[in-house]
Amino acid sequence: MTTTDDSHHSTSFSVRPGAEGPGVGHADVPESLLPGTEEYVEDPRHYGIEHGVPWPEDVPRGQNDMHWRYEGDPKGARRAELRIAACWTVTMLCGIGLAWVYVAGGQAQIEGALLFAAFAGLGVGFVLWARDLLPGHDVIASRGGLTHVSDEADRRLAVQSLGRGLEPMARRPFLAKMLGGVLTVFGIGLLFPIASLGPRVKGQFAVTAWRRGIRAVSEDGTPVKPSDIEANGVLTVFPDTGEDLGSPAMAQSSVLLINVAFAPFQVQPGRENWHIGAVGSGDCIVGFSKICTHAGCPVSLYDWSAHKLVCPCHQSTFAVLEDCKPIFGPAPRNLAQLPLGVDSAGYIVARSDFNEPVGPGYWNRPIRVNPNTGAAVRYS
Amino acid sequence: MSRLIAASRARLGRRRRLLAGPVAVLAIGLVSFGFFAGFSGTSSATQPIVTQQKSVLEEGQYLFDEHCSSCHGAAGVGSTRAPSLIHAGAAAADFYLITGRMPLNAAGQQAMQHTPLFTTNEIEALVSYVADLPRIHSTFPGPAIPSILPLCSASTTAAAADPNCVTLSYGQQTYALNCAQCHQIGGAGGILANGMIVPSLKSAPPLVVAEAMRVGPQPMPRFGTGQLDEKQLSAVVHYVQYLHSPENRGGLPISGFGPVAEGFVGILLGFGLLLFVARMIGTRG
Amino acid sequence: MSTTQERLAAEKRQKLVKGGADYIDDRFGSSPFLRQAMDKIFPDHWSFMVGEIAMYCFVVLIITGIYLALFYVPSSQIITYHGSYAPLDGQKMSEAYASVINISFHVRAGLVMRQVHHWAAVVFMAAIAFHMCRVFFTGAFRKPREINWTIGLTLLMSVMLEGFSGYSLPDDLLSGTGLRVVYSIVESVPLVGTKLAFLLWGGPFPGTSLIPRLFVLHEFLFPALLVGLLSAHLAILWRQKHTDFPGPGKTETNIRGSRFFPQYMLKGGALMFLTTAVLCALGGLIQINPIWLYGPYQPYNDSAASQPDWYVGWLDGSLRLWPHWEFRSWGYEIANPFFPGILFPGILFGVMYSWPLIDAWIYKDHVAHNLLDRPRDKPFRTAVGAAALTFFSVCTLASASDVVGNDWHISYERIIVALQILVFVLPIVIGLITYRACVQLQRTGTMVIKKPVGGIIIRGGDGAYHTLGDGPHGAHAEHAAGDLTGAAHAVPNGHGGNGNGFGAPKEAPPAVRQGPGEGIAPEDEPGL
Repeated sequence: MTTTDDSHHSTSFSVRPGAEGPGVGHADVPESLLPGTEEYVEDPRHYGIEHGVPWPEDVPRGQNDMHWRYEGDPKGARRAELRIAACWTVTMLCGIGLAWVYVAGGQAQIEGALLFAAFAGLGVGFVLWARDLLPGHDVIASRGGLTHVSDEADRRLAVQSLGRGLEPMARRPFLAKMLGGVLTVFGIGLLFPIASLGPRVKGQFAVTAWRRGIRAVSEDGTPVKPSDIEANGVLTVFPDTGEDLGSPAMAQSSVLLINVAFAPFQVQPGRENWHIGAVGSGDCIVGFSKICTHAGCPVSLYDWSAHKLVCPCHQSTFAVLEDCKPIFGPAPRNLAQLPLGVDSAGYIVARSDFNEPVGPGYWNRPIRVNPNTGAAVRYS
Repeated sequence: MSRLIAASRARLGRRRRLLAGPVAVLAIGLVSFGFFAGFSGTSSATQPIVTQQKSVLEEGQYLFDEHCSSCHGAAGVGSTRAPSLIHAGAAAADFYLITGRMPLNAAGQQAMQHTPLFTTNEIEALVSYVADLPRIHSTFPGPAIPSILPLCSASTTAAAADPNCVTLSYGQQTYALNCAQCHQIGGAGGILANGMIVPSLKSAPPLVVAEAMRVGPQPMPRFGTGQLDEKQLSAVVHYVQYLHSPENRGGLPISGFGPVAEGFVGILLGFGLLLFVARMIGTRG
Repeated sequence: MSTTQERLAAEKRQKLVKGGADYIDDRFGSSPFLRQAMDKIFPDHWSFMVGEIAMYCFVVLIITGIYLALFYVPSSQIITYHGSYAPLDGQKMSEAYASVINISFHVRAGLVMRQVHHWAAVVFMAAIAFHMCRVFFTGAFRKPREINWTIGLTLLMSVMLEGFSGYSLPDDLLSGTGLRVVYSIVESVPLVGTKLAFLLWGGPFPGTSLIPRLFVLHEFLFPALLVGLLSAHLAILWRQKHTDFPGPGKTETNIRGSRFFPQYMLKGGALMFLTTAVLCALGGLIQINPIWLYGPYQPYNDSAASQPDWYVGWLDGSLRLWPHWEFRSWGYEIANPFFPGILFPGILFGVMYSWPLIDAWIYKDHVAHNLLDRPRDKPFRTAVGAAALTFFSVCTLASASDVVGNDWHISYERIIVALQILVFVLPIVIGLITYRACVQLQRTGTMVIKKPVGGIIIRGGDGAYHTLGDGPHGAHAEHAAGDLTGAAHAVPNGHGGNGNGFGAPKEAPPAVRQGPGEGIAPEDEPGL
């Protein structure tokens, strides 16, 4: 048991007069000593160091912390040494093991376990070393004041130096203003290369690759007939433009064809011929954009018994029979409907592009677009 | 293919296999009793069929009348409580029965997987009866029990083009587009609106997966041959089998898919351990 | 033992060290700094080490990250994969995704490095969050440390961005879905959203520019920012010295702890190795982000249960909780994701950045502090912190709504609606409970003497109490003596003595000459 060194008690380090001021707590600071008042500069507690007092030593001499756990016990120290050595031997063996595993082709679990044991051995060894054989229990030092602030004289000198340069410059207000203006203009000029990062926005958000007569093809590029989609079945289709399915145009254009079977799909005014097969006939196919109007994820969880579409990202729920109106979750708008038709060969085609922008909202999103040109026709 | 079917049957019916024989004998006896007692009126109009098959059909009808007709109506015409089964097809009957989804405890609830009520033989009988319904009603047949193409022995480009076998890669691709949005990319299942449950595929046998795609058990959409051809269907079936025990070379698979599980483990186990270490090293006073 | 030999060896060593130190000092005059640095004192309460854990996670991230960067290919070029992982063989995918598959399957030790890297990121953020809570609840952000608080917050944000950009690099189904959502959030910014999205992505989503750009951000820009900010964070800490909990003998102007060298350095080193050990165990044994099972990203695919990593979960959750509102007039609209995706985190971080100002204003406290508050002594601040944590937790939980629903078979509608209510109610409830608990603890906790007091307590001429006779409970005696002075602030409850964590011999705290008023609690709770 190491008892506290006498030097702790008879310590000779000097607590500067400042630290012994009338109480260190700040609650009893008179109002007049708070920043912004006259006596502020005089408050030794705030500044910590009086003028002329040298920077305090971090650990005042005289505090002896050079004791350790097995100081007077060579046998215990030897045992401690062996414990640490054992820990580090584990590390060494794991190192050899790691090399062997690597040469043998590598295996993540063995590698992880060996790395764990190796680092743990190293770490525990260090902990034991510090605990058993190294000196250093708590010592006390002055912080050198409440905060490391400079004294007032130094501050004045610094301000003087600043002023020495600033004053003559400030005497030329015209140049100062001029410089401000010049740098602003030049700075704006320098920003222009940022524009290289992306093309201009020209209504790309409002159009897709669907056009009149373009066939709907499945993921592998085969055109789709109405009879391919079973009652209560769904199929993801793309416009047959030959573009890669990962391209931006295709990402914007994916459509979910849904055969709502006998369900009473509510045909919207002006969209009487946008679906294939009569409503209630048992084979009524409708097409809706797959891009969620909330955050753009592909909406594709279809529950045919309730005729609901759910987005897997944020659980926006759409009622398919009611024009894919959002009925739950954060999606603010209906999914856009694609006008469908059948061409002379019997394959499903688009009658035109969507007549509204698909996907999430943005600042100047038009409400209606011309499905043949993609131009906005209604903004509000 | 038939091996796969047999395997899935065996998996579901393992416990009942011992009972199957006596029960079948008993059932056949009962059916013959019913036949002679004049319960069966429909089969007499058809052309002659093999006696044994006829008796299977008879057994099916008996079981149907006993267990199914109260909701699905006589000869599967349907009622206000349950849909018509005329076009359900063998696939649907087999799917609902071997997974124990039917009979339901109460009409209207979502059919979930249970221990099957019927023995393998009884199911066979019921399936043949339901498959026979379109003939009885003189209409077009429903989906038959799908056949499943085998996995290609190699995963080369040539193998991928072979029409008689499928690759896992094709399955992954098809699964990602058609199944993952509901069942999760790792097959762990999910939820739909109104608390509808998307079951996990982690132990779904091949035939059940195949039938489910063709049948579209509520609320799952139906995938006909126009949407997923035999090759795509088989590929998905094999990929789902692969997902039962996928390549987890990273170590312990914590729920297979998900930053949620990873977050919990990272914070509670990883950071928790480190807090413990810090507490051991640091002072507590 | 031949002591002469030992002495000679010691002398030789000293000569050697002197030689080295002289060489350096001849060139830099660095001896005073060196001495100060070696003798620098760190209070070593265990909770002060959590910031260190974060730092060591960063070290592990850099080392594993360099290894991964040597094999990762930052390219959106579409290639056909022909590798050993059969379920993806022959599929089209980006080079980036293929290279991560390659790291996971073909590069020896690649998978373990990747997983350690990912786990380190997860734990890194946990450590940062804990560290920030510690600083907040103990008032360590008060003057003079406000600027370091803002640097810390900037570090937090940078790490979040760094983490998210890393999560997005593999270009798998999960990360692609995350990027799609972020694109929509950027797009929703009023006025400049679409332009901003085009500048970041180089055009419409998904495009081929983003992956290489993310690589630059993840490998260069954010790490450089992190290194710079972390250096500033540590330099300021070094200069200002660490705060400490109040305790016997501790004052605002002194500091108690162990010297930087050797004690603290060895402990720090040990903590670094043990942190690495835990991360390696996670990385080797527990699978994280198995991207080969997720498949390559295709814009038309996604999976149920798509979540970001946990530290972005609160934003994903806020997107789920925000109702279906968006605002439109005169042909312009503020789109839905803007509110939960930009405005909400903007306000949250705004409040966090300005908290030192708010706190100073609430408590009319403009003086500097080195001793920490106990959370109970500032019930209002503690209640605000607890409420904020609750709010954050509910948002994070919301991001797991579908996973929770799937596991417990609850419909997601119910979960979301419940959380929409709880996100406001629960923080208030927890805040009130916390406030009451703090006030109760203040009243009951401090005066309790838990162990018998050894020795005799006398009152000195300066009015302070001292213990005579070092009984077995000397430390506690001192403790109790402190209590008797009414030093509610100076004596922490439950901080039983000052024994250090190794179970090293406990010792009585060194008596410090105290001024007449020292050790008396400042009753600085303005009406709270």
